[in-house]
Amino acid sequence: MSIELRGAGGAPGIALGRAVCYRPAVDLPDSAADADPDAALARLAAAQAAAAAALNALAERLRAEGQPAEAGIFEAHALMAEDAYLTDEVARRVREDHQPLREALAATIGQMRADLEALDDQYLRERAADIDAIGQSIAGALSGRASPLRDLPAGAIIVAPDLTPAETAELRSGTVAGFATAYGGPTGHTAILARALGIPAVVGLGAAALAIANGAELILDGAATLLIVDPTPEQRAAYVQRASDTSAADERRRLAFRGRPGQLADGHPVAVWANIGHPDEAAAAMHYGAAGIGLFRTEFLFLDRDAAPDEGDQYAAYCQALEAMAGQPVVIRTLDIGGDKFPKYLDLPHEANPYLGVRGLRLCMRYPELFATQLRALLRAAAHGDLWVMLPMVATLDDLRWGRGQLAAAAAALALAGVPHRADVRLGVMIETPAAAITADLLAREADFFSVGSNDLTQYTMAVDRGLTDLAARYPHDAPAVLRMIALAAEAAGRAGIPIGVCGELAGELAAAPLLAGLGVAELSMAPKAIPAVKQRLAELTLAQAQGLAAAACAR
Amino acid sequence: MTETTLTITNAVGLHARPAAVFYKKAREYKSKITIQNLSRPDSREVPVSPFQLLQIGVLQGHTIRLRASGEDEQAAIAALAQLVGENFGEE
Repeated sequence: MSIELRGAGGAPGIALGRAVCYRPAVDLPDSAADADPDAALARLAAAQAAAAAALNALAERLRAEGQPAEAGIFEAHALMAEDAYLTDEVARRVREDHQPLREALAATIGQMRADLEALDDQYLRERAADIDAIGQSIAGALSGRASPLRDLPAGAIIVAPDLTPAETAELRSGTVAGFATAYGGPTGHTAILARALGIPAVVGLGAAALAIANGAELILDGAATLLIVDPTPEQRAAYVQRASDTSAADERRRLAFRGRPGQLADGHPVAVWANIGHPDEAAAAMHYGAAGIGLFRTEFLFLDRDAAPDEGDQYAAYCQALEAMAGQPVVIRTLDIGGDKFPKYLDLPHEANPYLGVRGLRLCMRYPELFATQLRALLRAAAHGDLWVMLPMVATLDDLRWGRGQLAAAAAALALAGVPHRADVRLGVMIETPAAAITADLLAREADFFSVGSNDLTQYTMAVDRGLTDLAARYPHDAPAVLRMIALAAEAAGRAGIPIGVCGELAGELAAAPLLAGLGVAELSMAPKAIPAVKQRLAELTLAQAQGLAAAACAR
Repeated sequence: MTETTLTITNAVGLHARPAAVFYKKAREYKSKITIQNLSRPDSREVPVSPFQLLQIGVLQGHTIRLRASGEDEQAAIAALAQLVGENFGEE
């Protein structure tokens, strides 16, 4: 018989699937070493540091994937994991009250939670769940326990008392259809993250949610904050219909444009490609009709780990993307770290202006071995598809020449060792510094293609930190100065007969896409989901109209 | 001992990202820094830590008192006051 449960909030969307019940692991008994207070507290400190490091690593990964708001949540948790109040209170309980470490930790977390729940502000009360999440992270680090949510069946709807934000974020891959929690409110992090990740969720269903059996059939309606357990055939049919209606308009557009090449109304071609941050996302790129990958960010390979990735790991990841794209071009950007994201294993000095410092290609110059390993992996993978290599943060022709020299050296080393590879890959540069845009005619002589990184190009052209929202609004990425920079690069590319694309956020905006086509940009690369709508918009204008729009935008 | 009284004007108050920014700034100084939410009569003066900042529940429009004592107390208070004055570099 069907049961309907109402929640306190959620993330919109409909999910039909089977319950996968998740309960936090039962705590292990205390270690014998914890009998000595000093040893116990040393173990606590190590667990706090490990929890903070894991949370920061997750934040780095989300930031690299373009989710800065979500990254901020985990950075805040990482700070809290090493909170002095928490540390002092556990220490007091261990030393003065002679409590075992785990009890002291649990009691401290419980008390901190109660303190927040007593506040008169709903937002602050909901942060109480964060305290639990942090307590679980520390307790997990104490027992050396890994995340328990692995190998989920497709279409799983996770049913849990509550989920920590870390658990929610780790579950964001394609197999999870929805989240249902007994606790948590509309502005809790599970709901916020689920919305950001586009996964339907209902939170705050109450204790009844905990009685749901593993494997039970569920219908989750996030917008209505409704969870139906063991639905009747009528309910199931109605929701299958609704789920298809809701997405029908988007789906019609996707199907209409999926097989169509990107082009203007008069047939002028404008290739529409996808940006990805992980090889898994290539499937989504194909699904939405991308004709290539215009930007494959490789930072995920480098950031969330203790040591640099080896050549084999990289080779496998690049091959995976090439295979998924079935022979279509895949532009892989070489390591672009620095600025705000650094892996732990590189020892870089503190810089007053990191965005003007050792980042992108400059960092590779500092660590030529790291770069050589990546180039070898790229050249080997290039034998399996249409792989292009793109250098970030190029400011001079010398930068490009250095990159080309390294690529040639990597190819020579592979040839000498008899390793199969392809030496004649296309090597291009990102146009993201004003220096590169202004000297695009020089770069075009030796580069095989250009790709405009409009986010950084805006930051460097307008002298505006892209993290400052009010300034960014006043100096937008479609300002005449930025568009003229792009026009310079497009003109130089046109003269030299090399392709030019745009892979910044500008490319996926409906208002900007025709302008860029009018400036002479031949390829636009964007988040996969944006592709159908951009193709539709491009098909509405002729080249002459797009050029008119571009000219007006450069002079407004 | 150096102290100052400030009003928080940014929309979310002193938690989430602003609290993280505030705490990290405070951590840069050697002085012992405390905070009290004067807009909550039952709020005590507490050391600046991520949890304590949440617990004293500083919302938009609340007035806080910062106290620092130590070798760099004046610099600490000046830097934290500037951060609050600039809305933590956002909005």
